[in-house]
Amino acid sequence: MTSSPAWIVGIGHAACAPARDDVNTTELAWEAISAALDDAGFQLGEIEGAVTASQDFWEGRTISSMSVNEVAGGTLRSEAKVAADGVMALLYAMARIEDGDQHLNLVVAHAKESQADPHTVELAAFDPYYERALNPDETVAAGLQADLYYRRSGLTPEHSARVVAAARRRSGVLDPLSPDEILASPITARPLRALDRAPLMDAATCLVVCDEQIARERDLPRVRLVTGAARSGPWWTARDLTVAPELRAAADEALERAGWTPDSLTRIELGAPYAHQQLLLAEALGLGEGEALVERFEADAGDPRINADGGWLGGTAGTVAGLASAAHAAHELRERGGRALVHGATGLCAQSHAVVLLEGR
Amino acid sequence: MTPVAAAIVATGQTDHVSRRLDASMAEIAREAIDRCLASRNLSFDDIDAIVAGNMEMFEGIYLVDQFFVDALGALGKPLFKLNTGGTVGASVAVCCYHLIASGRYQKVLGVGFEKQSDGSTQAAITTVGDPIWERAVMAGAIGNFATMASTYIHESGVTEEQAAKVAVKARHNACRNPHAHLKLPNLTVEEVLASEYLAFPIHRLDMCPSSDGACAIVMVAGDSADGLAEHPAWVHAAVTAHDQQYMGDSPKRLAVMRSLRAAAEKGYRQAGIADPLRDFDVAEIYEPASYAELAMCENLGICEMGAGGRLIDEGLTQMDGPLPVNPSGGVQSTNPVGATALIRVAEAALQVMGEAGEHQVPEVRRALATGYGGNAWTDLMILSRERPTP
Repeated sequence: MTSSPAWIVGIGHAACAPARDDVNTTELAWEAISAALDDAGFQLGEIEGAVTASQDFWEGRTISSMSVNEVAGGTLRSEAKVAADGVMALLYAMARIEDGDQHLNLVVAHAKESQADPHTVELAAFDPYYERALNPDETVAAGLQADLYYRRSGLTPEHSARVVAAARRRSGVLDPLSPDEILASPITARPLRALDRAPLMDAATCLVVCDEQIARERDLPRVRLVTGAARSGPWWTARDLTVAPELRAAADEALERAGWTPDSLTRIELGAPYAHQQLLLAEALGLGEGEALVERFEADAGDPRINADGGWLGGTAGTVAGLASAAHAAHELRERGGRALVHGATGLCAQSHAVVLLEGR
Repeated sequence: MTPVAAAIVATGQTDHVSRRLDASMAEIAREAIDRCLASRNLSFDDIDAIVAGNMEMFEGIYLVDQFFVDALGALGKPLFKLNTGGTVGASVAVCCYHLIASGRYQKVLGVGFEKQSDGSTQAAITTVGDPIWERAVMAGAIGNFATMASTYIHESGVTEEQAAKVAVKARHNACRNPHAHLKLPNLTVEEVLASEYLAFPIHRLDMCPSSDGACAIVMVAGDSADGLAEHPAWVHAAVTAHDQQYMGDSPKRLAVMRSLRAAAEKGYRQAGIADPLRDFDVAEIYEPASYAELAMCENLGICEMGAGGRLIDEGLTQMDGPLPVNPSGGVQSTNPVGATALIRVAEAALQVMGEAGEHQVPEVRRALATGYGGNAWTDLMILSRERPTP
């Protein structure tokens, strides 16, 4: 068979804020969708369907895509909801385009974290038999992970604070902060401080994706969705929390499928909500160790740049993060060309990993 | 471009019951997977990717796929977690299809699971409605279907007796299916009508049960199918269509199933179906209530609009009729929600493969399977013994 390449031809974000209490979920998603449609020059009626990403628990609604499928072009058309990071939705959408079934789709990720009680939601992700009685949440698990990682790597909370500061400096959403300000934020789960975690936000991102024929006929500025891969990791208490071999394996598979060498990448987007996880994941990708690794996060020049728009720590929401990163990367690649690896994680302590490779002309 | 041909070559189900006290939800999912893989001497080493479906608010486990990663055999592999309501099992099968048809993977395991006895399904289903406009007035599945069935009675003239005949057919068919939950060999129309109203016009025996159970399939690419099954169930259509989110936006809902009509139109075109009553040998239709099967048959073009009652009166959808509908016993006999729509697909595949045992319909060459969920959403698959021609 000959697979049809998939392209990103439209990019849209909703205005991201700690609480978008001026809009409901449908309106939040529509903000991103209408921006992406305008960017690509399409009307909603031309869209054949969508793959959406959201989490019922955060949305407080079973089948949480009910809120958005209508504004995502799903009426009497095809919408599927992935309950994972937005990169997984993007991988599914690529398959739908590549097999020729769909030609013009939206990929939409949305979350309104302000409407949920984070502890209640996160507690529900733990083993109901053995773990929930301890009343943990994602930060408790991440704190244990950070402690182990700092011991193993020799890195410290000061290094993580520099990663957060670098993300804040590049963010279009959050105010800049110095490492000292980050270190002065309250302890949440030792050794983690409040600002080591990306703040909870209300966010939505939409990409318009299409096949080769539509991209050519419309002569649209575009970024190629080259390939992708995904690997699931073990449950958080059943693995070494200081390494991420599944990320490396997914990245290696994708690069091999694309025929790319790692040094041909101009941009890397890492999707994890805690600063120490960013360092851990970058290390897993072979981007360095120790002080040199931290400097990679701070560098504004040299390839590949990491989280050039601040990434998750720069302001977005869980589930949306990977797709938002793909959107930021696509925006740059469309203007300047280059090659990007975009990563998204799902699960406690960044359990499972998905990557997608993008190329601008 | 030409999609890679995809076929279901293996299926596995648990023996569905109201309450599995002997197994956790992970163990239930694994039981279906093990049965599926063992049926063809496959192992996890043969599987490239996993697609999982479960409605996690029903049991209250957020990120259930990550918790069950080892039970699902997904360690070190891609794991797609879908969550689309009652359709989710069929959405799993549709996703398996795209992952293979695109050339990304060769062998994909699809699994749907639910342990409803661990949670409160109706409480979770109540959250499906818009929190401002709908939740206060449409709680759970029964009220929803009662409203729809009333509309359907008004539009089609179908009677409570005709609906009861569907309920009886399902529970009789279930007696020949070793996996079915609700087997009632002596059930009569009179007993269905004598069972209490849950909400008019739905009698208790018009409604599906609440089950613990799981279902798994293996779908493979092209030539690898032939070595795995004597008669692979080739996918000729895998279609999804949704309706609008608010119940009031779907005119004459159930009587008119716009999403089912849209999905059927596309699926029939892809698979070359001109006359569904003639061209299909068997159908597995997602009918949470007895009325739904009749209304869905109308909207699928199996009979004229408004003629659903006559369809059951004349026995056309009975096991010995020209188009047996739900020889497995259907949703009315078995309903572990995350698995239910995948069971429709798996049962259709079993019929095409000629491996349905006591509930096998003779000489099946083409089968239809549908999933229903959310606000009148549809997934639809068409399976055939013939490999699709490029």
